[in-house]
Amino acid sequence: MSSHREAPEISKDPVADSTDVYAFVSPDQPGTVTLIANYIPLQSPAGGPNFYEFGDDVLYEIHVDNNGDGRADVSFQFRFTTRVRNPETFLYNTGPIQSLDSPNWNRRQTYDVTMVSGFSARAIGTGLACPPCNIGPLSTPDYGALAAQAVHHLGGGITVFAGQRAEGFYVDLGAIFDLGDLRPFEQLHATFGLPALKAVPGVNATNNVNVHSIAIQVPVSALRRSGHPTIGVWTTASRQRVRLWDADNGENVDSGPFRQVSRLGNPLVNEVLIPLGHKDQWNSLPPSDDKRFLQYVTQPGLAALHPVLYPGVFPNLAALVKSSKPRADLQAILLTGIPSGIIADFTNFTGPVLADMLRLNTSIPPTPSARQSIFGLLGGDAAGFPNGRRVTDDVVAIELRALAGVTYPLIDKNFKPDAAAGQLTDGLTPASVHAPYLGQFPYLGVPYSGYNEPS
Amino acid sequence: MPSQDEKRAGLSRRSLLQGAAAAGAAGLAATAIGAVASPALAATGSAPAPDQAHGQAPGRAHGRAPGGPIMVHVRDARSGDIEVFAGTSQTRLRDQDLAARIARSIG
Repeated sequence: MSSHREAPEISKDPVADSTDVYAFVSPDQPGTVTLIANYIPLQSPAGGPNFYEFGDDVLYEIHVDNNGDGRADVSFQFRFTTRVRNPETFLYNTGPIQSLDSPNWNRRQTYDVTMVSGFSARAIGTGLACPPCNIGPLSTPDYGALAAQAVHHLGGGITVFAGQRAEGFYVDLGAIFDLGDLRPFEQLHATFGLPALKAVPGVNATNNVNVHSIAIQVPVSALRRSGHPTIGVWTTASRQRVRLWDADNGENVDSGPFRQVSRLGNPLVNEVLIPLGHKDQWNSLPPSDDKRFLQYVTQPGLAALHPVLYPGVFPNLAALVKSSKPRADLQAILLTGIPSGIIADFTNFTGPVLADMLRLNTSIPPTPSARQSIFGLLGGDAAGFPNGRRVTDDVVAIELRALAGVTYPLIDKNFKPDAAAGQLTDGLTPASVHAPYLGQFPYLGVPYSGYNEPS
Repeated sequence: MPSQDEKRAGLSRRSLLQGAAAAGAAGLAATAIGAVASPALAATGSAPAPDQAHGQAPGRAHGRAPGGPIMVHVRDARSGDIEVFAGTSQTRLRDQDLAARIARSIG
């Protein structure tokens, strides 16, 4: 979660496995939008001597649709190159790394950024340095300052960063994947005849681990069309069609055109809505093809599970599931955006094309931090998910509540959500993340060091 | 599970990788054979990415890298259905004789 190891094939290819996408009007640069795509899930900070890095053989992209057809109008492409200074040592670094050109740093990555608009491709950054991974106080003694050197200003108001960050997504994976358990409510769980459980606080399974982030801050004028403030955002990773293990040289050889192997727009869609047998297919397709998955959004299996796992707690949801009425509320939230007139002074509708994209109405200004709700639109905060997604938004609780029927009154005012639906949570908040989020680009926190984690 | 598109093509990603690995030696053979047999080869058209720009890899040379490997995937030796990969390009051939010769070369 939100898309970590979510499909059978991509779970075996972590370098190309997208984990989270964020899109928001930059709180400290309101004329810009920040787009973040995370890859390489659940990194143990001490995972050396070959620390985590992007794949030189992967084409990473962040896409923006600005005309509602579920196809990319603007894409940012990222290609990485790894260089080893001294192949005769096993060490990642031979001394402290205090600058990005430190001779002590033995294995380093750079990257190129290409901006594609329609059929036009333009290199907007070449040879940009990634930071090293955060190793420890001897190897990376002032990591925050070191990583800050890897924030690159490309001209045209575009800023970019690619490298390791602290995982900012919080979720109680251990409980949720244990048959839908939510620790704060587990005294209500059916437990399948096993001894009853006792409510306890949530545990952040993604705490103290790192990810690799690709973050780009772009003037909003470069992304949206005049008169169409809402953009759709998703990320993809692609690999060449053929890979051959060249045993003579001890390396892989890739060939052929790139084909998409990973995709992510809205959090948790492929993770918990798309069935196991279709997840890798979903990963290979563009959002414009999502009509074929409509039934899994409008008749979500997880909504049907709620009343089974928590007997007697969701009677109204159970009746809704039994009626087989399509969940048009979820269809709007995830596949078209919410049309105007449904929620006062709000829309992020992009048109009738069914496409899983993170939709951001860029005309809605950022909410000052003191007034933000981690429940986003459900909490009355129109600058949060599902209007884009900020790094602190509690997308697990928002989607659990939506699936449980909290948003169904948007399309049927006679439906009364169960009292428990609006309380659903896995018991976590942004405070469950030990590494502080940043108030400025790239917003996700300084990664945990291998020396300090695990502790 | 193979995607619908892959099913239609009778190809899964896993079988492609396995096929590519098996075709490593055959690829070298095809390079030599192709010089002789190319007039007889019937290219049935390349398979470009769904979107010519998005999903491609600008900033890197497209097409066949000079001196780079050529990889061959014999999808169906009986019908002569062959895919050839080089650089970021691919093409598809239908040549029963070539497919049979490649198959014979690996026993």
